[in-house]
Amino acid sequence: MGHTAQIDKTKKDFDQDLSSVVQDQLNALKVKYLGRQGLINTLFKTLPVKDTPEIGKQINELKSLIETKIQEKEVELLSAVSTPIDVTVPGHQPPLGNLHLITQAIEEIESIFTRLGFVRRRYPEVDTDWYYAEGLNIPKDHPARDDQETFYFSENIVLTAHTSNGQLREMEYVGQPPIKMINIGKTYRRQSDASHNPMFHQFEGLVVDKHINITHLLGVTDYFVKSYFDLNRSVRLRPHHFQFTEPSFELDISCDICDGKGVLDGQKCKVCKQGWLELGGAGMVHPTVLKNGGIDPLQYSGFAFGWGVERVLMMKSDLKLPDLRYLYSDDLRYLKQF
Amino acid sequence: MDIKLTDSSIRRFLQTTISPAQLAEKMSLCGPTFDRIHKEGEDVVYEIEAITNRVDTACAFGIAREGNAVLNQMAIPCELIGNPYEQKIDLYSHLPENFRITIENQSLSPRFCAVSLKNVKIAPSEKAVSQFLNLCGERPINNAVDITNELTLLYGQPIHIFDLDKIEGKTLHLRESRKGEIITLLDNSKNKLVGGDVVIEDSRECLIDLCGIMGGKPAQVDENTKNILLITATYNPQKVRRTSLYLQKRTLAAQIFEKRPDIELCLPILSIATELFSKRCMASPSSRVFDFYPDKLPPKTIDLDLVWLDKLAGVQIERESVLDILSDLGFNGAFNGENILSCTVPSWRYHDITIREDLVEEVVRIYGYYKLPPILPCVNLKAEESNKLLLTELKTKRHLSGFGYTEVFNNSLVSGDLIEKTMLNIKDHLKLTNALSQDFEYLRTSLLPSLLTNLKNNIGKTDLPINIFELSNVYIKQAGAVLPEEQSSLSLLTSYDFLYLKGTLEALFTKLNTDLIAFMPLKAQSTLFLKEKSSQIMHQDKIIGFIGELNKNILHNLDLKVTPVVAVINLPLLISTIRPGYSYTPISPYPPLIEEITIESETQVGSLIQFIKEIDPLITQVQYLNSFRNKHSFRVVFTSHSGNLDQKTVDKIKEKILKV
Repeated sequence: MGHTAQIDKTKKDFDQDLSSVVQDQLNALKVKYLGRQGLINTLFKTLPVKDTPEIGKQINELKSLIETKIQEKEVELLSAVSTPIDVTVPGHQPPLGNLHLITQAIEEIESIFTRLGFVRRRYPEVDTDWYYAEGLNIPKDHPARDDQETFYFSENIVLTAHTSNGQLREMEYVGQPPIKMINIGKTYRRQSDASHNPMFHQFEGLVVDKHINITHLLGVTDYFVKSYFDLNRSVRLRPHHFQFTEPSFELDISCDICDGKGVLDGQKCKVCKQGWLELGGAGMVHPTVLKNGGIDPLQYSGFAFGWGVERVLMMKSDLKLPDLRYLYSDDLRYLKQF
Repeated sequence: MDIKLTDSSIRRFLQTTISPAQLAEKMSLCGPTFDRIHKEGEDVVYEIEAITNRVDTACAFGIAREGNAVLNQMAIPCELIGNPYEQKIDLYSHLPENFRITIENQSLSPRFCAVSLKNVKIAPSEKAVSQFLNLCGERPINNAVDITNELTLLYGQPIHIFDLDKIEGKTLHLRESRKGEIITLLDNSKNKLVGGDVVIEDSRECLIDLCGIMGGKPAQVDENTKNILLITATYNPQKVRRTSLYLQKRTLAAQIFEKRPDIELCLPILSIATELFSKRCMASPSSRVFDFYPDKLPPKTIDLDLVWLDKLAGVQIERESVLDILSDLGFNGAFNGENILSCTVPSWRYHDITIREDLVEEVVRIYGYYKLPPILPCVNLKAEESNKLLLTELKTKRHLSGFGYTEVFNNSLVSGDLIEKTMLNIKDHLKLTNALSQDFEYLRTSLLPSLLTNLKNNIGKTDLPINIFELSNVYIKQAGAVLPEEQSSLSLLTSYDFLYLKGTLEALFTKLNTDLIAFMPLKAQSTLFLKEKSSQIMHQDKIIGFIGELNKNILHNLDLKVTPVVAVINLPLLISTIRPGYSYTPISPYPPLIEEITIESETQVGSLIQFIKEIDPLITQVQYLNSFRNKHSFRVVFTSHSGNLDQKTVDKIKEKILKV
């Protein structure tokens, strides 16, 4: 076979190969002709290139032709239509676990207060009467103890029904204001019905510094309510009484069902009281409590609040849980919904 | 305490044209909360929450007094009328003494007023009176008894009446009860007293009154009563509270007396009652007024610094408003210096107002909390380290849910039965003295019993496998300490197998970036874990947790048909193994060589891996593949950082490995 014939045969073979090539063979084709041990290089090695420069020129022309054609083929194959897959077939999911609703709520609450510069704390669930009541200005035999529904381990040791024991503990821990903490923890009360579980969770805020006033309590609450619920909500304070705050308030947030109007489609709103929902108690820290925590009430003032995690969770209107005790069900058919 | 009052009874004292609904709304904003409001015929009934320290608002007049202050600030026309403190008082000094009263100790009754009435005609009350009582939740009885209940609701001062002719010797002696004494009350109940209760006896030493709570049967007013002894008094609040609690007689009177009603109200109400008795029962006074009041309340003044008031409120309140508010609430204010207002506390707020903060509350609530703007405080907190415990708890929960586990929340209180069934020692557990039920009596020392209960509850409802976890405190009694240690604990349960749960933990440890943690055979017998199928989880020489199957008797006790694999981890110990950060390992530019090697050995696989790793520094990874009897296969990765590996070098190392 003459030199030119050899080159032509290689070209012919290539054209044939190229016509039947499919996408994933393209690379092999490249190697077959253009690779180190490829047919083009074989031509260079076997033909007398040195003696006849014309042959080298022909091989080079063939080489660039092959390169161009492979490139064109590549583009052609890429733009070709692939066989469609059924995208509606369910995917292969990794095993799905679940974070409990209460964990999710605590996480969200924590992150909101962290944005406001609060430090998260954890204080004892089992505590002495001093931190739980006496030090919070609730003397023994005080009628206010009636409302607490407290579990006792002994006369002096309680299973806390509120997170406010964290107030004195934080004052002792920090020593000197400023204080800006959120204590989220388990709490317990001797009660079990549709809106009470014997175990529940509270988040307790405490801010103490010079110049802390009532508008700051409103500011923090307003921020929380707008972040946790939605931007259209507003808050209001109503007078109340707690032994460990003075003045004391009850906080309401506007109802989302009736937009705070108290009336829905000409009917009284069933969810709220005249457009407002009760969030929980709050107040300016009582000077006796500051004193008990080693802080001079003439120099410092502060506010505190303690609200139920379950309560704010249940107030999220799309949750639709009929009964607070559902939150504590261990039925996986319930737990796996969240 | 919750009270029911009618709209018309409040309007006897508060003249205003605003509607009941508006009144309720305005009052709730600034004063007592009107929880519910409903129409009853021509009238409207409010359910009002009189908070513990505001017994003065537990009556129609008290509500009206608050209403007057509130509406004034809102510029809504109103007027307070029928003020009992303006009542003209006749002491009937021209009349003789008609009975004898002795009071053993003034601490039992700081004030005791009485007058006797004659020619009493007992009959049913007029319709308006019985309707009012019914609407307020009181039962009408007769015209005499109804007067006492009506006045309690109107003015907040409970009144008691005796049939004077049934009091032996017309002599009353007020004293502390003795242990074991028995009194029969108006509700026909026979009560054995524990002693220290405030009681009244007559000259036969017959108990005729359980003071502040309920009258005694022996001197009850009935349809034949002709002479009445009318009493208004105040009693030792702690004693009343104690007696009413242990006898479970939470009468309206007891709820008022335990909260210290106004001592200055006794005489005006006695006088108003006397007038009503003449009007409705045709009675007339037959004795001079008896008034035991040895220690008059000294005046109480509190200085309010108005600059400080604005500072605590966060807004500036006009002085005129401050003065108006205080005056409407009965505080007489007089300037003592430019910014200091000396406020005299009215008798009906005597025990509740004690510090300047109390005055701030009075001024700002009536001014209107709703008018205050929300402002975020700027606080210069000191920097501090992040809380590793809280951070790790959250990360752990997130990772485990990412690995397909479902988080459960169980009650920290468990039953003694569950503790015993799971072979824990009941003595290690803190026990409630006033548990609601036996189901929630002990604070748990382990999360495992709860998880086993969760498994049991779900079998048959959910398809297996069940993979659950809980991360919560357990409560460990501390010898010599008052409080238990509240220890963060992680527990996992799978219905799958040991390696699955072990793999989960290994993945968790990797994600948490812990130091090397090893799974070693259980060293000692355990009441919980089945020794042959369990492991202790070790960091260096510390046990940080356990994993494995439970002893058969526990599964039997709980009647569990599935054999779960469980793990418990002490979280603070786990956290102590977490590395402070990541450190970078350089990646070799040279390709690794990978060999599959099978070793025949009786040694445990963990030790084999460890052995292979230590043979040569070129061995960078040992991956376990599988075992057949005592033949164990591994995938061993050889990497060099200094050049291309040649097969000869690798083969030499391989030989060493096979010589195990």
